[in-house]
Amino acid sequence: MEARYNLKSPAVKRLMKEAAELKDPTDHYHAQPLEDNLFEWHFTVRGPPDSDFDGGIYHGRIVLPPEYPMKPPSIILLTANGRFEVGKKICLSISGHHPETWQPSWSIRTALLAIIGFMPTKGEGAIGSLDYTPEERRALAKKSQDFCCEMCGTSMKTALLPLTSGSVSSQADKEAKELARQISFKAEVNSSRRSDAGPSNTSGLNHSAASREPQQDGAARAFPDPASATSEAQSSSAAAAQEHPPAVSSSSTSLSPRQRRAQQQSQRRAPASADFNRAQQPRGNTNHTGSTVLIVLLTFALAALIFRRICLANEYVFEL
Amino acid sequence: MAAEEPQQPQPEPLAGSDADGVNCLAYDEAIMAQQDRIQQEIAVQNPLVSERLELAELYKEYAEDDHVYQEKIKDLLQKYSYIRKTRPDGNCFYRAFGFAHLEALLEDGQELQRFKEVSARSKEELVAQGFTEFTIEDFHNTLMELIERVERRVPLPELLAAFNEPATSDYLVVYLRLLTSGCLQRHRRFFEQFLEGGRSIKEFCQQEVEPMCKESDHIHIIALARALHVSILVEYMDRGEGGATNPHVFPEGSQPRVCLLYRPGHYDILYK
Repeated sequence: MEARYNLKSPAVKRLMKEAAELKDPTDHYHAQPLEDNLFEWHFTVRGPPDSDFDGGIYHGRIVLPPEYPMKPPSIILLTANGRFEVGKKICLSISGHHPETWQPSWSIRTALLAIIGFMPTKGEGAIGSLDYTPEERRALAKKSQDFCCEMCGTSMKTALLPLTSGSVSSQADKEAKELARQISFKAEVNSSRRSDAGPSNTSGLNHSAASREPQQDGAARAFPDPASATSEAQSSSAAAAQEHPPAVSSSSTSLSPRQRRAQQQSQRRAPASADFNRAQQPRGNTNHTGSTVLIVLLTFALAALIFRRICLANEYVFEL
Repeated sequence: MAAEEPQQPQPEPLAGSDADGVNCLAYDEAIMAQQDRIQQEIAVQNPLVSERLELAELYKEYAEDDHVYQEKIKDLLQKYSYIRKTRPDGNCFYRAFGFAHLEALLEDGQELQRFKEVSARSKEELVAQGFTEFTIEDFHNTLMELIERVERRVPLPELLAAFNEPATSDYLVVYLRLLTSGCLQRHRRFFEQFLEGGRSIKEFCQQEVEPMCKESDHIHIIALARALHVSILVEYMDRGEGGATNPHVFPEGSQPRVCLLYRPGHYDILYK
């Protein structure tokens, strides 16, 4: 790796140091650069023990800007966790109750501890934040241990040292909580996504048959396959431009899949017209590309059925 | 469609609160974009540290009938002859201090040795205070390298070039910020009484000292002067009455080594 980077670059110098510093996993966190890219790391963190994330082991990516450490890293979670959306870039916030900004003397370790400390805090409807129920978070925490990252080959079962009750780890817990009070994370907002918020917002009620598929698609997408999340993260910025209005979509993203399913079921039971039911369903993280593909697929399926029907009918005639 | 309206209780409030969230984020983005634009504009127009200019140039910056400033510049001209401007990016105090002091050290071998010792020691002090060594050592090395260059008596244009190279210049600013933060935290009891709004010194350092581009006030200057034992004089020039600038020496009563001109929100370097 050394040969490929300009060692005079402050960022390279610093990241080499951090890579050495974080080489061995601790019982709370581990992070290393990808083999072919010093500016992209994968990390694993343990869910804070006194929370719904207890027992969870979460994996994600860290993207370092060329100006690092003068500019902060971005973090993308790859494991479903019920607190942060999977595949969405989260970075330090300059707004709200946390006026602090990134400090060059912080490190990737600081960012990891901040993420751990930040998990039990309330999402409060922020974009990129999720407010799943404690039960769902606990279920996800359990499930998270089975995750194995295809990109870096890390298996969650062996990624971290087993938890010890020693003073070092409780020190890390304390630091994490302290940092969470200072740092706030938010999702990166795509500017093109904002711009289409206005008009589509008002047309939300008028979607009927056309929006049926995308809505169901949205519910399914809330549990994205962690392995495919990486590519999703790449394409998400492009897709975001076509996404449904954030005003509505983010309200439904803060619902957990179970809550959403329950809502849909109750709606299905309601004795109103079918079109109305569809209009009332929460419009999830849908995007038009996904829905178009689905519509095309369904059209093909329907065509195939009709074709088969015709064939069958013809055969019947021939046999006669 | 109209008949459906009453059966749609939840989307309304949700959409409302989310719109706030989006607005808030949109604000965030807009503010950041604007800040970036302003920074870029400033960067194009101003070098990080300028050449030495005639102080009389200042007259041009103010309207001829702006008597308050014209008079104060006249007064200032009796005490100083030259000015060196720094980029107004919120780091100007640290950059002005760093350059002015190192430039003066080119001519003062004795003070250079003392400053070198204090600077060399400073990293261990910060580490002992809880700063992470491997994250601060690159910044410390930058200061030490600059001091070594001064020790080798590099020509002034080379020092100026180093200060105009963002990698070096900004790293030095980070380290001076860390020294300021370290000193404030070491003398927490003393400095806490100057803070407003019930913030702790630690919070103040995290919010106003260590992040880049945060402007400096008296408290920062006192702390940095104390951390490095370098006396700083600041000539305060504002729209106030009196016809003369107000000089302040930090710490009080000491013999100043660095002279800075303060105009609301910005510091430049002054020369006799």
